[in-house]
Formats: sequence, structure tokens, C-alpha cells
Amino acid sequence: MENEVKIDKGTKAREIKIENLSMRQLLELDACTRCGECSNWCPAYEQDEREPINPRGRAHAFRSIIRRQYGLFRPESFLGKLLGKQPVTEEEIKQIAADLYECSTCKQCHYVCPVSIDTVELWEAIRRSIVEAGYGPLDSQKDLVTSVKSYDNPWRQPRSSRARWTKVAKKKKRIKEEPKDISKNKAEVLYFVGCTGSYDVNVEEVALNTVNIFEYSHTDFGILGNKERCCGSVLQRMGDHESFEKIAKENIQQFNDLGIKTLVTSCAGCFKTIKEDYAKVGAVNFDIMHTAEYLVYLIKSGKLELKHEVKMKVTYHDPCHLGRHSGVYDAPREVLRLIPGIEFVEMERSREYSRCCGAGGGLKAGYPDIQNKISQTRVSDALATGASELISACPFCYQGLKVGIQAAEAPITMRDITELVYMSMSGKTETEAPAADEGAEGE
Amino acid sequence: MRHYLYFEATVALYILTVITFIFFFAGVFVTLAIWRRGKAKNLYHKVGIAAMVKAFILNVILQLQIIKFSFIRWFMHFCIFIGFIGLLALTAWEAFLADIMPANSALVRVFFNNGGKLILDVWGEIFGTMLLAGLIVAVLRRYVFRAAQLDTILKDTASIVLLLIITLSGFIAEAFRLMAAAGSPDLAYSFVGLAFAKIFEAGGIPVMNYKVFVWIHGLVAMFFIALIPFSKMWHAFASPIEVLLDASEKAGKHEAEAHSAQCSVSCS
Repeated sequence: MENEVKIDKGTKAREIKIENLSMRQLLELDACTRCGECSNWCPAYEQDEREPINPRGRAHAFRSIIRRQYGLFRPESFLGKLLGKQPVTEEEIKQIAADLYECSTCKQCHYVCPVSIDTVELWEAIRRSIVEAGYGPLDSQKDLVTSVKSYDNPWRQPRSSRARWTKVAKKKKRIKEEPKDISKNKAEVLYFVGCTGSYDVNVEEVALNTVNIFEYSHTDFGILGNKERCCGSVLQRMGDHESFEKIAKENIQQFNDLGIKTLVTSCAGCFKTIKEDYAKVGAVNFDIMHTAEYLVYLIKSGKLELKHEVKMKVTYHDPCHLGRHSGVYDAPREVLRLIPGIEFVEMERSREYSRCCGAGGGLKAGYPDIQNKISQTRVSDALATGASELISACPFCYQGLKVGIQAAEAPITMRDITELVYMSMSGKTETEAPAADEGAEGE
Repeated sequence: MRHYLYFEATVALYILTVITFIFFFAGVFVTLAIWRRGKAKNLYHKVGIAAMVKAFILNVILQLQIIKFSFIRWFMHFCIFIGFIGLLALTAWEAFLADIMPANSALVRVFFNNGGKLILDVWGEIFGTMLLAGLIVAVLRRYVFRAAQLDTILKDTASIVLLLIITLSGFIAEAFRLMAAAGSPDLAYSFVGLAFAKIFEAGGIPVMNYKVFVWIHGLVAMFFIALIPFSKMWHAFASPIEVLLDASEKAGKHEAEAHSAQCSVSCS
């Protein structure tokens, strides 16, 4: 097993500091009654039924560590000695860390917890403690963190090739013009492409379609090109809060200096990070929207006309970071409803109960086999609807669900929501630049 | 010697009560000290009093969030929670009357010697029955039907066993008291105790000194209270606080978003 724990039996562990947790989070560990509702829903536990990896098990294990470090019965206290309490060992901490990272941070546990424990915030704070004590992240996840710090993206790609997709797309006539560099030419909208959309050629359609939609709707937009940096999501999920805070502050400064009205991103992970996590680091002077939300605005304001029928039966997968984390459930569904010809069917588990694709939270890097199984389960949910297309609104989910589709050889096509909008807008099935006379009338 | 409703308050009782509370408060103190180690921000949004009041009624008192997953689980937890709170309140009221109010006060006379006594009887019966019903469901779920989502550890078993001993010893004490005081006017008001008494009579169980069971009831209850900060039952304090904090945060976030929601596009 890739993340098998190296055992240092009996060695006393370094102290796990809890100052970075809030009083509320420490209270949350005591608020868990171990009722086990989370175990009915946790996607990782569904595939790997080990008690320590379900949310109840994680909370219980960390609470036990804290009590043994600071409680009335800690091993070095009189009562602890009387009861024969043992100090926390390296072996235990490493196992707890390994279990803690077997989680996609999907937040399903929060929505089913009768006490509404803010679980993902709690796991991330605990991961931070584990990282600060030198026990995390897992070896297989360290590459992601190192890459973000060294290259400003988790995929070990040079900074200078971040905007390469725009040049290639222009050359292949898949976009009309390279999007303008917003740091040189002011624009109202910053399209934050994100690392996956920028570097992964398998999901480049997301960025290309978004750019074409913006062009078509005469949106005054620009991108940061090679000056765009990772949003820091990977760092925050892995528990490297110090590095996350640094990158978040720098990004906030850069975004604020642009004088934009709106930041739009197609990546649910970037959206959640910039909208939810950045708010805890500093203030921004613009609105943050996911592409799906912005599409609703463009369509409803008449700036984008969906005039071609798209004859497809589709189902929609809620990205965890867009839905449960950020509360955006309706916008993507509204976009699908506004596309003529689409037959939309819900999966049995949707919205706040949507099954995760397993790609987030470092799970895909740390436990690819588990992610694969989670993804296949989600794909089977989609197949059960009879849909021929599985739609999502996140390049990372796109990647994650593709894993399941390929592994299961499932007869369903993975598409980003922007692809359907592009089809309806242009009447084309392959992404190519809009002709000079194409576009919504007026502005 | 002061008198509670049906037994004397001895020096031993007071000493044990003090020891119980020393352990209880030591546990609370240490737990709060651990909580206070947390230095990160607790809330990121404006405190939502209205949301907290609503959550207190719907999610702390009525616990409606449990029904959506399982009616039987809601019934179980609601009965244990309300039953326990009701009995705790009864004990506190009785202690207040016996230990704080003057013995010749009108309140004490009403509740210990006159009609008020019957109210206390009914009070104990209703909440005791709720607690017992909840505990029976808990035992069935956890140990007979073995609900798949449960993972039983010592803390779970200890909580259930201690609560069962407290509840059953209370009813058994009441049954023996009623058996010894046949013809007492409060029989009808102690309806569950009376049912237990009839079962004992039918089973040929001889009348025992009910005070033995009162002491078992009291001692186990004290042990249970002393254990609260160290046991699963601490959730009775921590969980409601979390429910309220979460409700406040969600309301605050909602309000903040409503004020800033996509204004650059929707307001243009």
C-alpha cells in the first residue's frame, strides 16, 4: 500500500499543538456523539470500511490524542499513572495522519451530522497541526505541495507555459484571439483559469469554451496568463496553512490591484478557495462568481443567446466545492434548463447529498485506488439515470469522474457545463473560434 | 435532619454530593482549559441571535434534524434527552425545597406534605418513563438489532448501563415504597411505579426496603454526574453549543452574501 505507515513502535511522539484550532473546533471534537450517521454517507468509508477513516473515527482519535496530551489523565499526571495511561507514540500519530488524509474533504459529513459539526474546517485545522508537528502530508502528497511552492501549480509545470494553451488554441483556430492580459489592459472581468484548466490538455475544453462564450457575449474580460498563480487550494487542503496564507495574500493583492468588478472561475476548487478561504485571510474589492453563475447572468441579460438545440439526456454532478462548500446548486441547473433540447435528469443523490467524485482533498494523490472506486460509484449513479452525458462544473471533477468512466468502461460521456453552452450558442460540437459575425446582438 | 420527599438527607449524602461535584467541576475545568488552548477565530460572521433561537427550539429541544434520517432514532434520543433533563430538574427542585427553602415555608409544605407532592410523583413518572423508553430503544438498536452505523466502545455501553441502573432503580424504589404503603392516596399518581409493584407482586417478589434502591439510585446518579465531563455524556453540553454556533454562522454567511451577491453584474 502506497501510504503504509512506517512504524516507530513505542517512540514518544512530538507534541501535536492545537493552538491553530479554534475553541469551537476543540468543542466540536467533544460534540461528536459517535452516532455514526457520517459513516452512512462518507465516500471514502464506503470504499474502505475502516473505522478510523470515517469522520466519527477521525474525531475520536484526535480527541484521544488531545486528552492524553492535556487531559486530567495524561500519562505523566498522578491520575494518569494510577490508570496506567501511555504516552502518544509516533506510530499512533502516523496512523492518524494516514487516516486523516484518506478523505476528499467533500463535506458530506457536515450536512448529515445531527450536530452540524463544521467537519472539513476541522479536518483541515487538524491536518495543519499534523503538518506543523512534521507528520504530514503523506509522502505521495508532498509532491503537490512542493510543486505549488516551486512552480505556482501542483502539476510541476513551468510558470512560463501557463498560458501556452491560449497560443495553441489561437493557432488551431479554436479561439479567435488570445484573451487580453488583464494586468496590462484593464477589463471588468478576470477569468481565473486555474491550474488544471491551464495545464491539463484533457480538460482544456473548459477554458476554451469559456473564452469563446465570453467572446461571443462581448464580455469585457481578460486573463492573467503566465502571471496567474495557483489559488493555493492544494496547500490549504493538505494542511500547509502558512504557505497557503502567503499565496492567498499575494493573490488578493494582485487581484485587488487589477480594478476588476468580477472574478470568474470555472474551477469549483478555485472558486471555493478564493470565495470562502481568502475571506479569512484578507478583503477583496470585487465579486467572485463561478462560471455557472456568470452564465446565468449572461443568458438572462440577453448577452448570450442559446439558439441551437442540444438533443442530449444529461445528468449533473454537483462538485463538492461548488455545492456543499459554497452553496451553488441552482445556477448550473438553471443553465441546463435554459439550453433548448436538453433533457435533464437528477441523480438519486444530488445537491447537498451529492456523492463525491473522490478527486479533492488530496485523496486522488494520496489514495488513487480509493478515488478510482469512489469515482466508479458516482458514475454508476449517473448511469442509473439513463443519461448519455455526465455534466459537471469543475475541471478537477471532470478529471476525477473520467477516471471512473474509463475504469468502468461506462457508456457515458463526461462534459463540462460550458461545453453544452458552447454547443447551444454556436450550433457546433467541436470547439472552434466564433466567426467574425457571430455573437449576441448588441451588448 | 432534613428530609427529602421520601428519605432522609444524611451527612454521607452531602459528602458524596460534594465529591461528585469536585470531580465534575475538575473535569469541566480541564475540558475548558483544553478548549481555551484554541487560538483561531471561532466565528467569521455576525452573531445571528434569531437563527440561534430558532435552532435552539428546532434542533436542540425538538431535535428535528434527526427525524429526517430516522424516526426511531429521533424518538430514542428525544426521550433520553427530555427524560433526563426532566428528572434532573425534579432532583434540583427537590434539593432546592429540602436544602435551601425553610422547612416551614409554604412552598415546602405544598410540595412535601400536600397536593404538590402528587405533582412531583407525576413529574417523576412521566420523565422516568420517557428515559426508560429511550433507553430500551437504545439497547435494542445497539445490542439486539446491531444497527450497521453503530460502533460500540466502552463509553457507549457505560453511558447506557449507568442510565439504565439509575432509571430502573428509581422505579424499583418507587414500587417497593408503594407496596409497603398500600392504600396510600398517591398510588394513582405513581402509575409506572405501581405497574412495577404489580409485576413484583405477581412474581411473588417480597417487599424490600425501598431506601436501598433510593441509595443505589443516588450513588449511581452521582457517579454518572461525576463522569459527565470525561464521558460521552459531555456532548449534552458541547453539542447544543455547536448547533447554535453553526446556525449563527450559516445565518451570518447568508446575510453577508445577500448584501454583496454578485452586485457587479446584477447591479449593472
